[in-house]
Amino acid sequence: MEFAAVVLPHLDAAYTLARYLTHNDADAQDVVQDAALRALKYFGGFRGTTAPDGRAWFLAIVRNTAYTWRHRQQGDAPVSEFNEELHSDHVAPTDPAAAMDLGQAIDALPLEFREVIVLRELEGLSYKEISDVTGVPVGTVMSRLSRARKRLQEALT
Amino acid sequence: MTHPNLELQLDAYLDGELAEAERSELESHLAQCPECTRFLDSRLALRSAITARIPALRAPDTLRQRVRSLQRRARMPVVWRSLAVAASLAVVAFGGWQLGFRQGVGETGETLAAEVITSHIRSLMPGHLTDVQSSDQHTVKPWFNGKLDYSPPVNDFAGRGYPLLGGRLEYVDGRSVSALVYGRRQHIINVLLWPSERGAAGAATQTRQGYHALHWVTPDYTYWVVSDLGLAELREFEQLLQQADSAATPR
Repeated sequence: MEFAAVVLPHLDAAYTLARYLTHNDADAQDVVQDAALRALKYFGGFRGTTAPDGRAWFLAIVRNTAYTWRHRQQGDAPVSEFNEELHSDHVAPTDPAAAMDLGQAIDALPLEFREVIVLRELEGLSYKEISDVTGVPVGTVMSRLSRARKRLQEALT
Repeated sequence: MTHPNLELQLDAYLDGELAEAERSELESHLAQCPECTRFLDSRLALRSAITARIPALRAPDTLRQRVRSLQRRARMPVVWRSLAVAASLAVVAFGGWQLGFRQGVGETGETLAAEVITSHIRSLMPGHLTDVQSSDQHTVKPWFNGKLDYSPPVNDFAGRGYPLLGGRLEYVDGRSVSALVYGRRQHIINVLLWPSERGAAGAATQTRQGYHALHWVTPDYTYWVVSDLGLAELREFEQLLQQADSAATPR
């Protein structure tokens, strides 16, 4: 019950992050379920954090699980060389042609840019929370976010 | 723009991440730098586009059930239940602090401005904008019947470039109120209004994290208008609402 109270409210956010990291519904579901299992196992660790709620804590587990999953997908090749085209099950937009463009532009971002855009623009995390989730310093979060936005703007024009 | 650091600052400003001193410094700079203002506008346009065009994803029910079933394996001490409650209270306190205002119209007005801006931001989340989606004022107005103890004035300003998009219920200032949603290009405008207290008066403009909140009181209604639209256009919209209000009320 207590575990569910911490994790379930963030399931949509977890699925969204996993979906954008894996490009694929089935894989995203597997990643989130796997992450929930890990979260359950390490739930005691949440007690030790100073996080105001479980969101950043759980999203960090989801992200790490997704990275592990990607790593496994391509043997021992470095994560940064993930082949996007193998997993291009695009998140379906609701309507106009422009939606396709922006959604595709997000999907086409390099992984480290895509995750900060999803965490900031779709999930509304603060820089500190994004830093907690991704494990990179706030300064790096800021520069990645800025570059990611620049790329999206270029894609829009 | 030639200063990457300034771009980071502008992004941080847009994201509400600047400390007080940095923020006022940047605002003074913005006031005299069209280039930075253009940069900020382009970022706001990107954010509006993302809000408007990227659908919210929802965890499939099967996944929800699978995760819920995991909890049966959990053997958690009861103390964590109270931890979760304490954590959620901390979030509320923290959120309130983040949206706190320095300048303004007294503590009540500040709290209220923070409340209406929060409600605006919440409404921009996918699926939260309207309970009744219609550009027809004769559909939107009756929708509030039985949901509120007043019938809010509903006007469509499509002819003036501010089409009515719909309405929804909001809970603000300790009561249920009507929220009317208008559009202006990519921008969303929320109009929250409820019957005025007797003798109430006041007007204010507040800006926070790129959102403007305009407030005024007529003999009948207390108005709050919130948007990321430029202040000049928002003032024009305010004029339209005020004209419609005074036209509807015999003086």
